[in-house]
Amino acid sequence: MKAIANFFRQIKHYPSAVAGLIIIAFMVILAIYAVIAIPYSEAVRLWRGGEDVWKETPRNARPAWFNLFYKEKQSVTQIMRSTENPEVKTVVDLGNGVKTNDFVFEFDYPYDGFPTELAIFFTSTFKSARPNASVKWITPDGREIPMQDLTLRPSETYNISQDTRLTRRLGGATPHVGLFADPNNPNKVLKGTYKLVIEGLVFEEDANIEATFVVYGKLYGFAGTDHRRRDIGVALLWGAPVALSIGLVVAVGSSLATMVLAALAVWYGGWIDWIIRRINEVVMILPLLPILIMIGLFYSRNIWVIMGTTALLGIFGSGILSYRSMFLQVKTSGYIDAARAYGASNMRIIFKYLIPKVIPVLIPGFVTQIPSYVFLEATLAVLGLGDPSLPTWGKLLNDAYSRGALFNGQYYWVIEPAVLLILTGLGFAMVGFALDRIFNPRLRGL
Amino acid sequence: MGKILLEVNNLKLYFKTTKGPVQAVDNVSFTLEAGKTLAVVGESGCGKTSLTKAILRLLPRNVLEYSGEIKLNGVDLMKYSDEQYRKEIRWKKISMVPQAAMNSMNPVLKIVDQIVEPLLIHDRKMSKDEAVEKVKEVFSIVGLPLDFLQRYPFELSGGMRQRATIAMALVTNPELVVLDEPSSALDLLTQANLMNVLKRIKNEFGTTFILITHDIGTASELADEIAVMYAGEMVEKCHAEYFYNNARHPYSRKLMNSVPTLREDKELVFIPGHPPSLINPPKGCRFADRCDQCFAKCSEHPNVITLEHDQKVQCWLYADKMEVKQRA
Amino acid sequence: MLNVETAPDRAVRARSRTSESIMRILRYTLVRGVTLFITIIIGVYLAILIANMGGYVDEMRKSSLKEQIEQSLQNDEEYKLLSPAQKLQRVNEIYALREAELGLDQPFLVRSLKYLWNGLTLNFGQAEYLLSDSGSRQVRNILGERLGPTLLLMATGQLFLFFVGIFFALFLSRRYGSVLDRIVVALAPTSAAPSWFYGIFLILIFAALLGWLPFGGMIDAPPPQGTFAKVLSTLKHLILPVSSIVVSSIFLTAYYWRTFFLIYSSEDYVDMAKAKGLSGRQIERRYVLRPTLPTIITSFMMTLIGLWTGAIVLETVFNWPGIGRLTQQAVNLYDTPIIVGTTVIYAYLLALTVFALDIIYALVDPRVKLGGGGTGK
Repeated sequence: MKAIANFFRQIKHYPSAVAGLIIIAFMVILAIYAVIAIPYSEAVRLWRGGEDVWKETPRNARPAWFNLFYKEKQSVTQIMRSTENPEVKTVVDLGNGVKTNDFVFEFDYPYDGFPTELAIFFTSTFKSARPNASVKWITPDGREIPMQDLTLRPSETYNISQDTRLTRRLGGATPHVGLFADPNNPNKVLKGTYKLVIEGLVFEEDANIEATFVVYGKLYGFAGTDHRRRDIGVALLWGAPVALSIGLVVAVGSSLATMVLAALAVWYGGWIDWIIRRINEVVMILPLLPILIMIGLFYSRNIWVIMGTTALLGIFGSGILSYRSMFLQVKTSGYIDAARAYGASNMRIIFKYLIPKVIPVLIPGFVTQIPSYVFLEATLAVLGLGDPSLPTWGKLLNDAYSRGALFNGQYYWVIEPAVLLILTGLGFAMVGFALDRIFNPRLRGL
Repeated sequence: MGKILLEVNNLKLYFKTTKGPVQAVDNVSFTLEAGKTLAVVGESGCGKTSLTKAILRLLPRNVLEYSGEIKLNGVDLMKYSDEQYRKEIRWKKISMVPQAAMNSMNPVLKIVDQIVEPLLIHDRKMSKDEAVEKVKEVFSIVGLPLDFLQRYPFELSGGMRQRATIAMALVTNPELVVLDEPSSALDLLTQANLMNVLKRIKNEFGTTFILITHDIGTASELADEIAVMYAGEMVEKCHAEYFYNNARHPYSRKLMNSVPTLREDKELVFIPGHPPSLINPPKGCRFADRCDQCFAKCSEHPNVITLEHDQKVQCWLYADKMEVKQRA
Repeated sequence: MLNVETAPDRAVRARSRTSESIMRILRYTLVRGVTLFITIIIGVYLAILIANMGGYVDEMRKSSLKEQIEQSLQNDEEYKLLSPAQKLQRVNEIYALREAELGLDQPFLVRSLKYLWNGLTLNFGQAEYLLSDSGSRQVRNILGERLGPTLLLMATGQLFLFFVGIFFALFLSRRYGSVLDRIVVALAPTSAAPSWFYGIFLILIFAALLGWLPFGGMIDAPPPQGTFAKVLSTLKHLILPVSSIVVSSIFLTAYYWRTFFLIYSSEDYVDMAKAKGLSGRQIERRYVLRPTLPTIITSFMMTLIGLWTGAIVLETVFNWPGIGRLTQQAVNLYDTPIIVGTTVIYAYLLALTVFALDIIYALVDPRVKLGGGGTGK
């Protein structure tokens, strides 16, 4: 406890480290929130996407708050669900098992820009007689535009934007433009309150219709959407626990293993030392990324297999040499000889005398390494070798890059994961650097 | 009295540390005649090395105060700018032989290259060959074989390295050479050899030496005058012959009593306690709490008192004698 | 103890000392070279094993070979007339022939050694999908074409990084505690991000938003006429990728080396140099820079090793026609021979980097030159 208090007192002197700690705390909170709000299996399901999962979101939408920066306000996606707002629905019993299921979706449209798509998703329950629905549109200036008459299946999608008859009726304008256009000035939006009216009829006692009306805008949500309509926020959120767990586990694990191996090599000397040094030489010239690429391609892209290999190669990398030279120095000091003299066992000497001397270097060491593992995962993902089921920041970058986000002006797709990546990296790096200066006496005051 | 080469007045060197200001050299004053050797003795941490740094202007980054007068041949060096000091004083007039650290020579330069450096820097007209000839001369004075010139420092033993350092200090024929514990890390035989070399140089060239040491016995061979430092102050200074039998300051007496002698059967006494911290030195006499002769007046800081034979001592025991030199 | 030496004697001894040190350096080079080569052999063997999934790939090749033979025989008139037993025999005969041709009949160890030899001599056969610019399918040719641009990019970037880094670090060590010094120390953690990361941002700013520099590629398309214009165009395209390399490492490098310089400036011999009256510049060069150079070179080696493979994504981001981008393309197409080829090339490049730096280290550190004590490397 005292050690922790002492630690915090020392960290106070390094403002960059304090900032780093704040960032790390933020990431940890984000990670915890992500795991709680969207459990792992749910996250994987969401990210795999598919027809149904993301049908209510637009494609390639920018974040909603971008409107703060636009002079001409773009449309923000609006989703209206009868299941969530039962007041839009009125049911009138007409007798003989026939009921009306009427919906009035009333919404404001104050934007300068047109929406990108319009759709209605019907879910109906019935036994055999399919319900009817008649859809019409009421503009703020009172015009009533009939849209479509439908016979509903249990799950029915009315793609308003692709309704060619409606297009003709609107004089050639695609529905999501034509329905919102100002009759006097067809290039401008008629702002105001619109109504989408659905007159539905069910023919059975327990039959029911629910409708969800989506006005797809150019903007959506906190983080925007990608080419598969997925809310980027999901991946941004889930990237945090993935990055943190990978970084921490691999960094700490491999650092500890490196240290212990180096200690063993130095203490027992002889062939153990020789083998470890030869392995180190081979590993140093093995190009890490290409090897990981080969493993990812030929064996498995599972994130733990990849990280396990990285850790294995990392253990025998250059770190082991520097620990080795540190241990060599400690080995020749007086108190080690004293310990031998009183008959301490080898394990005792290694773990009680050698290793504690080196721990002040271990701790800043692995903290500084965490960002490189986080970025390694991102690098692999950008190359297309990421774990396909995990939503990570690297995966976002990969998607963005392969869809030419930078050419299409979809900068947010690149910047959002990039910012999170660099923040995480910076957070750990800043703390690691301060730790280094605290623990390394030669650097104190530098 | 011979010509005075060095006159130091009220020299102060304080350092900034995280624990507070360290008053390493606190108001030190002394004079030194040309051609004489002054031995400065004292325990570890009394400020001897800081005194050499102050005289040589080798200040670290955390200097707090550096003031006083250092007059060489009557000219106050403290008034020189750093650049002026570098060009006119460093190694031309004053040089140094550091403690026998393994590290005082550049590990990646050949010995000859390091020793010709000061010659070539301070005398633009000298050619490399002329400089190498001079180096050979000093090498023969210190007694080093010439093929060591082409070697690197790590190829030499400790004693050889120290001789090379002495050669380096002499190569420009400076007027004053400051030696900081030149033989403390060496074995006795090498020590004796080194002292012989220094004696030879002193006799042949008339170089003035300041010899910093904690070993009074060895100092006695070379020293004309002895100064005792304690807690950053120079508490006594007198001619060597008087010091050994007639040291005045209680601390000096205790020091002499702790040195074993060959012929007498002496009971060795040690001084209990330890020196005060240089960060917040006591206001009065700094030796008071270890002194067995302290009395009431010792709670005031003693002035420098000059006794017969030019013996100076900072102690109230002698207050009623002769002149009382004002403390600045 | 005086030694009287004549000039000719001195010359002879000087010459033999120089030739002694040359011999030492040559011997060191040889030893390091052989050691590294053995290391490469082991490394390439490992790479081959991994690529071959420990022989699994060969098994698959064998079975697909059988299928191929059967399929190709379907249309053979003679074959159709044979009895089932004879058909089987026929297939096996052809199979045995083909197997021997491809060397698949030998035990795994022998096969793997053959692959090892191929790997070491960069003989990877034919690519499955990719072609070289000249239309050749030979992996060796494709690799050869792509090697140049990568070397150009990496060498430029690394040289810039080294020299800018050292001078910046020296500059900073003289101004310890200044605002610039503190800024660099604060910025050091930015090197946590790899070069391609900064590459994306540089493209964003300078190509997409400002339009000053090209998005990628090595030269304008279509390339301009005349050698001078071509060189100029390449230089223009080099700016952003090289800047990515430099920006991603410069602050950490400068910080790391500046700290070295500061630590080594407090050595005793530096004080001695000051006492001797050397100017600040002289002290910096001879007493700070020269002794630390071996350590700096070792740490630079670590940076380089990271840079080489970081180049894979960097080249992809910048569409730079080098080995990195080739690797990426091969990954997308699952073109196995090229992937194995690039892995081996990278292993060679890394080994060469280590080798080159070892030599430079030997030249710079006299303790190695003379076989003196020194640190155990």
